[in-house]
Amino acid sequence: MSTPARRRLMRDFKRLQEDPPTGVSGAPTDNNIMIWNAVIFGPHDTPFEDGTFKLTIEFTEEYPNKPPTVRFVSKMFHPNVYADGGICLDILQNRWSPTYDVSAILTSIQSLLSDPNPNSPANSMAAQLYKENRREYEKRVKACVEQSFVD
Amino acid sequence: MGDETQVSSTKFDPGVNQDELIMQQQRQIEKEISETTALVGDMEGFGTLEDEYAGDDIYCQKVHDLAGKYKSMRRTRPDGNCFFRAFSYAYLEQLLDNREEYDRFHDLATKSKDNLVALGFPQFTVEDFHDTFMEVVDHVGQGPSSFSQLDLHKLFNEQGYSDYVVVYLRLITSGQLQRDSDFYQHFIEGDRSVADFCHQEVEPMYKESDHIHIIALSTALNVGVRVRYMDRGEASEVIAHDFPEGSHPAVHLLYRPGHYDILYP
Repeated sequence: MSTPARRRLMRDFKRLQEDPPTGVSGAPTDNNIMIWNAVIFGPHDTPFEDGTFKLTIEFTEEYPNKPPTVRFVSKMFHPNVYADGGICLDILQNRWSPTYDVSAILTSIQSLLSDPNPNSPANSMAAQLYKENRREYEKRVKACVEQSFVD
Repeated sequence: MGDETQVSSTKFDPGVNQDELIMQQQRQIEKEISETTALVGDMEGFGTLEDEYAGDDIYCQKVHDLAGKYKSMRRTRPDGNCFFRAFSYAYLEQLLDNREEYDRFHDLATKSKDNLVALGFPQFTVEDFHDTFMEVVDHVGQGPSSFSQLDLHKLFNEQGYSDYVVVYLRLITSGQLQRDSDFYQHFIEGDRSVADFCHQEVEPMYKESDHIHIIALSTALNVGVRVRYMDRGEASEVIAHDFPEGSHPAVHLLYRPGHYDILYP
């Protein structure tokens, strides 16, 4: 059945195919347009470089009026990513705007990898290392990058 | 014993995704509201409003005053979108049998998309909302024989359409604020920029509206709004404010702290 959310997701998908942003990709799962798989490539000149990080995006019928739930499936070590893969990012919570689409969501998460916000930590260890011991932080991130090849 | 387990399960756990817990709770509250109140209700007299405030002298006096000035009212769901929903319903309802005003509005609404894109709104998503918004506007223009008041009422109680109309009006409001940001900056408290204010308080759904939203939307569409304020103030009358100031009011709304309903003169 076509609902506004489903119709909009078809458009999001079409746009993502026609005008793909660099370093991210995403597509609905085979049998359910409300659940997407996505990949974010670790941005250059960051410790995440070369990583291929998988995510799931779950939409409700209220999309795009409400944000989807986005979660890393790949193991992450990042100040704003919870242990369960959940992401602490304002535009996915209280600063969501219906003008965002999947493409905007993925590119925002991609920039979060480059610019963590250690003042609003979801992983306090990662936040602390990011602020106080960048070398150890990068080492832990690199381990995730290598892990991401195997997943 | 039962209490103990409850306490331990709700203890703050820094490893748990608190954002999700908060959003879960919020969704539960929204669900309860949506199960009890229609997005836009039926037309009603002031009897139920009077009952609501039985025993409250200040409010009863004001309900009485309101009943002398208006014939009836129509409630909207208190979900933070009530101003936009009430405004659009009341206005489109009038356009059902006002061809001249309809043509003016249709023209303005058609052009509004390009104006938003020119202001820097993302074309792709604005187009999606604009398409649905125009679908509703076009329905209204079909004339009462093929699209009646009842059809409009049904459409506004369909979440998909109803919310898209709200979103699009939020975008128009945001566009107006940003176009005239020098003027509106004075109304914004703290050191937020107009653009920040729009991203945080105007564009997201479920964010309540204030004077600044009403001024911007009524100016952008050139549609006058009269808001009747019903609060704890001493006056025995429901005070009127017209937006934009000095305009002829096309839409009348009742404001009670935190909520807008529709009024019919």
